[in-house]
Amino acid sequence: MTETESVEPNPTESGGVDLMSPEAAAAPQDIYRRMHKQCPVAHSLSHGGHVITRYEDVLQSFRDHKLFSSEMALHMGLGTERPMIPQQIDPPEQTRYRKILDNQFSRKRMKVLEPIMREQAAELLRTFADQETVEFNKAFAVPFPCRVFLSLMGLPQEDLDLFLEFKDNILRSQQIEPDATKAYYLRAATGKRIYAYFDKAFDRLSEAPEEDSILCYLLTVELDGKKLTRNELLDITFLFLLAGLDTVTASIGCFVSFLAQNPNRRQELVDDPSLIPNAVEELLRWETPVMSVPRVTKRECEISGVTIPENTMVSLQCGAANLDDEEFVDGDTVRWDRKFNRHLAFGGGVHRCLGSHLARMELQIMLEELLKHMPQFSLEPGKKPVYSPGIREVQVLPLKIG
Amino acid sequence: MKLKIDLDICQGHGRCYDLAPKVFREDDRGYVELIHETVPPELEEEARKGKDNCPELAIDFVN
Ligand code: HEM
Ligand code: SF4
Repeated sequence: MTETESVEPNPTESGGVDLMSPEAAAAPQDIYRRMHKQCPVAHSLSHGGHVITRYEDVLQSFRDHKLFSSEMALHMGLGTERPMIPQQIDPPEQTRYRKILDNQFSRKRMKVLEPIMREQAAELLRTFADQETVEFNKAFAVPFPCRVFLSLMGLPQEDLDLFLEFKDNILRSQQIEPDATKAYYLRAATGKRIYAYFDKAFDRLSEAPEEDSILCYLLTVELDGKKLTRNELLDITFLFLLAGLDTVTASIGCFVSFLAQNPNRRQELVDDPSLIPNAVEELLRWETPVMSVPRVTKRECEISGVTIPENTMVSLQCGAANLDDEEFVDGDTVRWDRKFNRHLAFGGGVHRCLGSHLARMELQIMLEELLKHMPQFSLEPGKKPVYSPGIREVQVLPLKIG
Repeated sequence: MKLKIDLDICQGHGRCYDLAPKVFREDDRGYVELIHETVPPELEEEARKGKDNCPELAIDFVN
């Protein structure tokens, strides 16, 4: 890697490409590979800082939370008034919260929900499986994670549309309001509505608790002998809403789009569904629906020969790391039989995705039920899937069924 | 063959107990626990699979 290590950071963009464009989001794999070769640590205008792409560098940065801090709420402008817990705070505070949150999202706890999730998936699939075509994002990828989420939280299913409006206003504000200032105000106003929504939900659930509701658990759990304050409750649930819906929607879209375009690979899973758990891991690696994660440096450091100043935004490129052929043998090929797959699609270190066990289960159930209900599907002729950057939601996924 | 886990490094990805359920199990928070500290020969391959899929490198063999 001597050749790459001496490369100066590109002053304009990561290897001359804008990773935050819809074109890049549609097929980022080639770009990741170019980045590894040309500039493993580049300067990016659209990310406003340094972009780290090699597996080893990304993993080590995840693990070094003292150097790569997550405390940057003010930089993010996601409509929040305080840092979101636990994503935008550092240990030791972050660790305290994870101690009470982890058990609610453990694999054991998620397994209990499997039958409900399966029924929710099948119910949605039945509404269109016998049609000739379907726009899969709107029909399935968007509502499925949202329904699961509402059940998990103990919130009424009727709030589905409201939830979708909340998260789109925050995460897709520039599509709704192209003007940057107006988009900012839309996020700020929606942020207030989200706080108010959960504030009311907590009032209601304190009066009339729901069984197995994570929100009810949060109302009663004690942290160092004290119940959580209302602000703490809101800062946790705001994050749940932003982290738990779009990410799964994007993953479902990316997976199904891949299978629609690779009929042989789809058929392999239809013929042998026992491959599905491995396929979920391999598609998480290959697609990496959450392309990157931000950090800010606490002091000057050197990564792959490039000096990064103190207090600089850094973008850890999980997607690029997941294609690094120094870590993944035959990394350019999607293989259901991959034996070692230490992909970083859920991040790593102390901020490892709290919802990873939930997400894995949703994706596994989605594939099992999808291939059972509609084993044959492809892209609708003459139409193209439309990807959005950052979190790679396939906003339009036109499928031909059969 | 003996296994060693570093609980300061484990972040509860759960790859080990998913892929090697006869060797590793999860505690209440979803972090790793060893079922066998000394792995019987017939489980060695499974143990290796769990170890090699841990993204945090929290599992190691000793001697
Ligand atoms: C396939 C779907 C998902 C992907 C790809 C994904 C990805 C990620 C990534 C990369 C991080 C690390 C962020 C960082 O290090 O700053 C993260 C954190 C997080 N995710 Fe997920 N996520 C998914 C689903 C979910 C779900 C369903 C939930 C449910 C609530 C969730 C909740 C969280 C939370 C709370 C954090 C912050 C953890 C912390 O900072 O300690 N995620 N996710
Ligand atoms: S795979 Fe590694 S990080 Fe995950 S639970 Fe097992 S030991 Fe811990």
